[in-house]
Amino acid sequence: MASVTLEGITKRYEDVTAVDDMNLEIEDGEFVTFVGPSGCGKSTTMETIAGLTLPTEGTIEIGGRDVTNLPPKDRGISMVFQNIALFPHMDVYDNISFGLRLRKYEQEEVDRRVEEAADIVQLEGMMDRMPSEMSGGQRQRVAIARAIVRNPDAFLMDEPLANLDAELRVHMRTQLQRLHRELDTTIIYVTHDQAQAMTMSDRIAVINSGVLQQVAPPLECYNEPANLFVAGFIGSPAMNFIEGEVVDDGFESVYTQIDFDPETHGVSPGQEITVGIRPEDVFLEADSRKAASPTKAFDAVVDVIEPMGKEVNAYLLFDRDVEASAEGRGEGQLLINLAPDTEIAEGDDIRIVMDRENVHLFDRASGDAITHSLE
Amino acid sequence: MSADPTADESADGDDPTVEMAEQAKADEPELDRGLVEAWAAKMISNPDRAYRATFYVATIFFLVTTLFPFYWLLVVALTPRNNLSEVGVFLPAGFNPAAFIEVFQTLPFHRYVFNSFLIATIATVAVLLVGSLAGYVFGRLRFRGRNAMLLLVLVTSFFPPAAFFIPLNRLFNTNVDVLRPLISAGSLYNTPYAIFIPLSAIFLPLSIFILMTFYSQIPDGLEDAARVEGTTRLGALFRVIVPLSAPGVATAGVLTFISVYNEYFFSSLMTDGRPGSWAPMLEGILRFQGEFEVLYNLMAAASIVAVLPVAILVVVAQEKIVSGLTTGAVKE
Repeated sequence: MASVTLEGITKRYEDVTAVDDMNLEIEDGEFVTFVGPSGCGKSTTMETIAGLTLPTEGTIEIGGRDVTNLPPKDRGISMVFQNIALFPHMDVYDNISFGLRLRKYEQEEVDRRVEEAADIVQLEGMMDRMPSEMSGGQRQRVAIARAIVRNPDAFLMDEPLANLDAELRVHMRTQLQRLHRELDTTIIYVTHDQAQAMTMSDRIAVINSGVLQQVAPPLECYNEPANLFVAGFIGSPAMNFIEGEVVDDGFESVYTQIDFDPETHGVSPGQEITVGIRPEDVFLEADSRKAASPTKAFDAVVDVIEPMGKEVNAYLLFDRDVEASAEGRGEGQLLINLAPDTEIAEGDDIRIVMDRENVHLFDRASGDAITHSLE
Repeated sequence: MSADPTADESADGDDPTVEMAEQAKADEPELDRGLVEAWAAKMISNPDRAYRATFYVATIFFLVTTLFPFYWLLVVALTPRNNLSEVGVFLPAGFNPAAFIEVFQTLPFHRYVFNSFLIATIATVAVLLVGSLAGYVFGRLRFRGRNAMLLLVLVTSFFPPAAFFIPLNRLFNTNVDVLRPLISAGSLYNTPYAIFIPLSAIFLPLSIFILMTFYSQIPDGLEDAARVEGTTRLGALFRVIVPLSAPGVATAGVLTFISVYNEYFFSSLMTDGRPGSWAPMLEGILRFQGEFEVLYNLMAAASIVAVLPVAILVVVAQEKIVSGLTTGAVKE
């Protein structure tokens, strides 16, 4: 068990900067998830922590020890890989005990530890199977057993659930959380799936284009995103964005107008800003009492309805002339989340209000958040 | 052969080609066909027979051309020395199995075979070791100048081996004082090194290419996993990458072994031909050729004896290659 500290980690390949000046402190026993779109540098960051690639600049400390230039085997870490990476020519026992045998542990100690690890991931009685004879979930459990058997200071998990089917993925997700509770070891987890990041982590590190965007507990990332990228990436369905500018008495875009005092929020008239509103923070005018502090109502047309069971997603257009884009999230469009019993039909003219307490303002030039509530 | 299902169909009479043939027969009842024409018509109406026939013809042809020389070697070996001028094509003129014993009595032929075997083994180990390191570097690492270096390795194999002979021969005949404690004369001439060093170098590029191809196929994740679990890069190579590339390693090893064992040019020139001077098997065979008489029967017997170790090795390695392939080692 140990803390992990990244200081000014930068990784440059010939002309690409994969990771740019990353600073991060992960506490002992914490479960931190690196999340971001494909190619954002989250895997590269993890590889530098593992020692599989060396950073161009910066230092890495694990448990207070500078490990920047140590080979992977001397860093006290273990890793679970996206493609599982069991050694195909070894049976389960040999796979799990590989690291212990390399470190010349006594045979009895190896047996005891392997049994213990297999017990934790429920692999009893499969010790002499070959990886090719096992299902995806079983192989994944062997990989986890191989990682925990050495009692490492920190676990690194690089999209360990990406290759499993949906049902198994949810199952393994709860298993991993239980494992973290039992072992109480630092876990660094990489995923592009914000749902996994939200559900499992103590803190999320959102990364885009090699730059750390926000490091915060999941709900803080959701409720108070630091910038436009985090706001759009965390949450499903994603936040709506409306581009417009600050006027004397609030915000104005082509189709909407929200009143607020620019001075109290530190913006000045003429500034280009983006309003962000989550689908669940928009209500029909008739239900406006559900909003803590409703804005004034806007006209909209229902374009497409998606009943999800526990809720209804409705794609709205602010005007009948708006050309609906394929994903329904372009200019003049809005996705809202309604109670399942709401009586609306495609083509209806409706009036909607937003909850002022959950209206986010972002500076369009920098993308940074200005405020997360207009109240 | 894949002919079976269609053959069944034609037996049922449902095959359109058969119907066509029957119709043709009905249409031209008067036509009087010769033997060859009838055979050709049969083949056209039922092409599977033609394919099967050509398959057997080709197989038998290749079997005869590869195995008959061995058979004829046996024929010559069994022919008694006095009847050598009357040796037949299919049957020996007489029966003298004692030639296989005489081979070892006339000369210490076993020593020649041992010399060759040892030289080939050392060369194979050296080639696999160096080839593995080079194959790892070329197959799995990216660095500036990789292609240029690969080309350079290739270029070595472009030269005819004879081009290296004169400089190497002079070099190996030079007395190097440093070597004196190791080698009695202080020069490499008449030592196994004189043969295995140049031959290893000549056969190395091929092995590098074979191993490079195999090693580059191993998923990166496996190497990373091994390194995180506690090996160095070198450890990952020999504990994970090499075992998973067993078929490739066996192929490169067998090719190198056979090439070195059977090599003629360097083998015949780098020693003085005496068994104590590490002269290889080939020199032994040539020694049955005296000034006044050539003992063809003993040469033939010696050739057969010399082939045996390699044949056994290949059969054993073959099993390894096949088992390596069938366990589906690299399947993720």
